[in-house]
Amino acid sequence: MLARYLFGIISCLLLSGAAYSADQSKHHAMSKMWQTSLASKQISTSSVFDEQGTLWLAQVRDGHVLVSHSEDQGKTFSSAVKVNSQPEAVSASGETRPKILLDKEGSIYISYTQSLETPYAGNIRFSRSVDGGKSFSAPVTVNDNHDSITHRFEAMGINKRGQIYLAWLDRRDAMAAKDKGEKYTGIAVYYAMSDNGGKSFHANIKVADHTCECCRIAIAIDKMDTPVIVWRHIFGKNVRDHALARLGGTPQVQRVTFDNWEVDACPHHGPDLSISGDTYHLAWFNHTPERNGLFYAYSVDGGKTFSSPINVGNSAHQASHAAVLSNGNNVYLAWKEFDGEVSEVYAMRSHDSGKTWGAVFKVADTRDASDHPMLVAYHEQVYLSWSTLLEGYRLIALPQEQTMLQKKMP
Amino acid sequence: MKWLGMVLLALSVNSAFADAEIQPLLRGSYKKIIAAHVNKPFIVGLWSVSCTHCAADLEMFERLLKKYPGFNLVLISTDTPEVKPVIARTLNRYHLGSTGNKGLGSVESWVFADSYTERLHFEVDSQWYGELPRTYFFDAKGKVTGISGVLNEQQTESWIRINR
Repeated sequence: MLARYLFGIISCLLLSGAAYSADQSKHHAMSKMWQTSLASKQISTSSVFDEQGTLWLAQVRDGHVLVSHSEDQGKTFSSAVKVNSQPEAVSASGETRPKILLDKEGSIYISYTQSLETPYAGNIRFSRSVDGGKSFSAPVTVNDNHDSITHRFEAMGINKRGQIYLAWLDRRDAMAAKDKGEKYTGIAVYYAMSDNGGKSFHANIKVADHTCECCRIAIAIDKMDTPVIVWRHIFGKNVRDHALARLGGTPQVQRVTFDNWEVDACPHHGPDLSISGDTYHLAWFNHTPERNGLFYAYSVDGGKTFSSPINVGNSAHQASHAAVLSNGNNVYLAWKEFDGEVSEVYAMRSHDSGKTWGAVFKVADTRDASDHPMLVAYHEQVYLSWSTLLEGYRLIALPQEQTMLQKKMP
Repeated sequence: MKWLGMVLLALSVNSAFADAEIQPLLRGSYKKIIAAHVNKPFIVGLWSVSCTHCAADLEMFERLLKKYPGFNLVLISTDTPEVKPVIARTLNRYHLGSTGNKGLGSVESWVFADSYTERLHFEVDSQWYGELPRTYFFDAKGKVTGISGVLNEQQTESWIRINR
């Protein structure tokens, strides 16, 4: 409580400086600090299992990314360890959450977006622990452009070789165009790679120009050990569909959805991607008059073509923010719905790499604010990882067989 | 304790900007807003200080209200009450706030004031997923049209001319 209060005070002090300034943009700038540090409890959480079956969590409190772990599938947790010793305006709501991954040796990697005082501005931050989570390195900024502009919505992936990839949305090219008086739609997606266990990162590489500004990026590792990302892209004048690229070599941008959602708006609704063997599983949201809601499709040719999209969830109940996780031929989809009173997470499962799907089943619910659902797996068992304002963090095992589930359901 | 003094000063400076005219949008508020405007055409504009596309709509509303004073505009910020000072400052910049909007017609302002934002979204429109800006045009018969994204000024103006 005290820490929270102190951080509030620090924020106020920072803000008061801006309040005296006559500069309107500085006034506006206060918004970010207010929102991230004072506005509401940050419930956005990431989780991952290590090879021994220990669950690791990254959460945000009072300007600190906190890491804790559980040996008993989320029933009890260790005391939390601070990643950043100095409080920062850590972005953790809706489409942004701190990320946590481990490598085979048990090193722990953390990434997050630090919000700056300028509206929409941020930095991509990275830290690691090489002592099993007892301590974390001082976070470093991975974006090599240090202007006070957007570098946000990072996604982190690690491949079998232990290379760490970070991809994020970046405004540097949009700013450069603006300075030259040129038109530039949206912003860009960049990435950086570390091949020394996160000691340092190679130079930033641009993947594509003209991305949507405020949707999360999805990342997964393919069978060639190459990371693949999917993001909401701006095609033509203003069509906000999704694009895919492999990180490595000269990135080739492939369009993967064709809903033609043409809108000058911030959807705050990014895709999710999972890869098993040759199959890419993609979940996304679009909101066109013809096609509205959540969709799923799979590709067996590296994303060149996809199966015809199936509609997921009840769009009358705002089916949103789907997570997809594949484990061999088993594929799980989980998403959120809202019926006017209750927020519910539903899921469904495919046994045949996404060709056919079992019945939809309810996994959890809450009656106040909640994080986007996340799916994590340990061996064959898949879990919903979900943080809610009222109930806190929950790890809920998804039934492995539909029949078992039907028996359990009242 | 010198600290505390500075903090209090900081708070008082900030609260001087706070706008009492921005009302908290709670459970049920939206229905009341609609009911209060029954039989009158009006526009509801949902926006946020963190929405990169929303400023374009605020600018347009400023121009249109100058041209068509007395037109009813309801602005709802999807931010939180804690950022009221920032909301007020943004609105005042476009002469849509409580200061400096004299003669610019009737603008009422609200801010999301419930942590359960899903419910507020749903009360506005079960088919609105939270994308911003989001605008609803209510005609005098209560017919409502919802539009996501930056508005077309010409179309908005012709709607106002027909419906005012």
